[in-house]
Amino acid sequence: MAESDKKRKGFFGDVRLPVSKEYVYPAKQTFLFWVGGIGVLFLAAFFLIDVTIKEGVLVSNGPLSSAHASFGANCATCHTPLENVSNDKCMVCHEKFGGDQGIYSFATHYLYRSTDFTRLTPSTNEVSCATCHSEHEGREAVLDAVPSAMCISCHEYGSFNDQHPEFEAIGSGVPDPANITFSHTRHVNEIISKVGETDLEKTCLYCHQSDPVGAGFEPISFDVSCASCHLTASSSTDWLPTGGNGVQTLATLRAQRGPGTGWVDYMSPGDFQERSGRVRKRPVYHRDPWILENLKRLQGIMYPDNELASLLRASADVAPEDADILYEEALATLTAYADELRGIPDRSVQRSLSEIDDLMAEIKKRIRDPLSPLDETKFLLGSASVDPDIDEVTLSQYKELIDGLTLTCQKCHSVDNASIGRVSKDQSTFVRAEFNHRSHIIQSGCLDCHSKIPIREFAARDSVAAVKIDHAGIQNLPSIQLCQSCHTPKKAANTCITCHQFHPDKSQHSNLLRYLN
Amino acid sequence: MNKWVQSPPWLLGFLVLCALAVAAFIVNMTMEPIHPGSTWGIAYGIGALAAFGVVLLHSLRRRTLRFQKLGRSWMYLQIHVYGGALFLLLVFMHSGFSVPTGVHTWWLWFLSIWVVGSGLLGIVIQKWIPTVLTSGLRVEIHYDRAGELIKAIRQRCEKLIAKSDPRLKGFYTDHVAPSLGGTNPRLTYFFDITGGIHTRIKPFGHVRPHLSGADKTTLDAVQELFTSKLEIDAHCTLQRALRGWLVLHIPVSIVMTALLGVHLFSVMYY
Repeated sequence: MAESDKKRKGFFGDVRLPVSKEYVYPAKQTFLFWVGGIGVLFLAAFFLIDVTIKEGVLVSNGPLSSAHASFGANCATCHTPLENVSNDKCMVCHEKFGGDQGIYSFATHYLYRSTDFTRLTPSTNEVSCATCHSEHEGREAVLDAVPSAMCISCHEYGSFNDQHPEFEAIGSGVPDPANITFSHTRHVNEIISKVGETDLEKTCLYCHQSDPVGAGFEPISFDVSCASCHLTASSSTDWLPTGGNGVQTLATLRAQRGPGTGWVDYMSPGDFQERSGRVRKRPVYHRDPWILENLKRLQGIMYPDNELASLLRASADVAPEDADILYEEALATLTAYADELRGIPDRSVQRSLSEIDDLMAEIKKRIRDPLSPLDETKFLLGSASVDPDIDEVTLSQYKELIDGLTLTCQKCHSVDNASIGRVSKDQSTFVRAEFNHRSHIIQSGCLDCHSKIPIREFAARDSVAAVKIDHAGIQNLPSIQLCQSCHTPKKAANTCITCHQFHPDKSQHSNLLRYLN
Repeated sequence: MNKWVQSPPWLLGFLVLCALAVAAFIVNMTMEPIHPGSTWGIAYGIGALAAFGVVLLHSLRRRTLRFQKLGRSWMYLQIHVYGGALFLLLVFMHSGFSVPTGVHTWWLWFLSIWVVGSGLLGIVIQKWIPTVLTSGLRVEIHYDRAGELIKAIRQRCEKLIAKSDPRLKGFYTDHVAPSLGGTNPRLTYFFDITGGIHTRIKPFGHVRPHLSGADKTTLDAVQELFTSKLEIDAHCTLQRALRGWLVLHIPVSIVMTALLGVHLFSVMYY
């Protein structure tokens, strides 16, 4: 063995490489931590510069949407240190009216979508705006494009194509008490034969007139759609007895000057013909105030307990924009009642007074806000039974009088219990969703969807459809399956917000706020 | 024991946790969209933070080896590996499996992938390289002794060549000596641990017929030494990777930890 080899601990391998004389420790890798530390220092420096001088790009979770981009580096516009983004911050801009429960609250959502006014109490489930409207997702992000899953977290529908309920108007199966006699097939055939319209789809537009945007239709107006044929100058009441158990003449009403009879000054005496103690009104107008006033009086006589309900329902076919007049009238009547009762110390009278005050509050609320649905059943102070003091002969005379008075009205309207059935049907069938006709009419004709009334089958024929399949009470809407055939994940949009809005229309902002405050 | 799975129970536990997490995510996803600010998004973020904290215990344990009561270091390594993978899964769930749009959140997301990815690379390297080294090479050396051993080989070669024929000296000077200056890592060793060596010793066969009997013996001895040197090069090449992957892992994980602090600050404060 060589001398040098003796100093070694041994050899290894085929070429006898020397074994180390001492333990060899692996080289330390402390430099890795130094490199990391330098990286941290750079990061810390960048962070400090960023939050103090620059725009806080580093700490931001992403660029703000275009709508909020102007806030830039001013994080405090939306953020409160150590707290979530509060609704208060959103409301600074979005709730100009102030208050802590406005149009963007859940309470308003419940109210707006359910039309259930018992849900006016602010929700205990109130969540922050940021829960649904997620910011810091880039300039192009659309904040109101709320994913359907957000809605589904409360509403137990899989999606529009899965478990979505049928449209309420279809699903409920309850016929609409339209209170009007109307045949679509008859009117379409009238337009075809008298106007010469050859395009069946266009016949719809003679009455259903598009709103300026084209999304929906204006409410059917008698003056626009019906007056050209109905209530011509020859229309009249029957010859009616006057005085006592008869009708009140224009002269009598002028002398009485009762509440809500300001129209008497403008009605022409020439519209009345008198003959041996009887009067006939000719022509008859739509919502003829003389007829309605006399009908109201007869109601008061025949159904004294019905009182305000009669008052409200007597003004049949009132247009929404004219509804205030009706309720102002009811309020005036109630106020007059109440004023008479206030001085009477009887306990039962005072209890009645309390009821009247409640009703007045109800009406005042309705006048303030047309959105408020007035439950007319509240105004049924008693039963709709005939006054037991009226004998059969007199009752028969009254009924005959009512029939004569509403002779022309009954061609279209139903008259029951001395009141003209109120035509409540209008064009807004969807309560909880929006439908844009303009988007759809390019692809389908009116009758492709609205096919429950057999207009195509009876078009240009001498006969009209039977009443049971063609009356105004039929909700001529397609079922949801028709919508679902196009609105699928692979075709047209089928998200919740395609049809539904969470927040109410801004035009209703002030009205809703008034309630919620 | 399987080379890739040291402990099936740990792997099973990890897979069960992953399955539970993914199942929870799928269920939540049907209820509401998952994004970092949603209730479940925050919950996943907290889960990821907890997993990250547990993962860091391995680093602490390596510095407290003297305290045996703290348990086996091997267990902490398992936590480090499986916890790290679970951390990345929870990060993805926290972000709703979408790419963050914020600057620091994007970097945090990217560095999380980088750190866990480099860690997984480290595992693969540590499982694969030792097997390759022991399967194809005759010599096994300590990485930090490579220079010393090459120097010894060079000295022995020079001693052998000193008494040899000029032709052998010329061959040594031209073809062997340049390789004995130090370690020569070559990428080819990653693909074939022995192929490069066989090619490089072929010139020894070309020169052998031209040498006398004594020089042939010297040439054989030099060839043996040269082969060992090339094997040392192979060792160095692969062992460098065995150690070097930490450069990709540790500094970046330190920066990521700091960035996580920035993220927590921005979330808590704002």
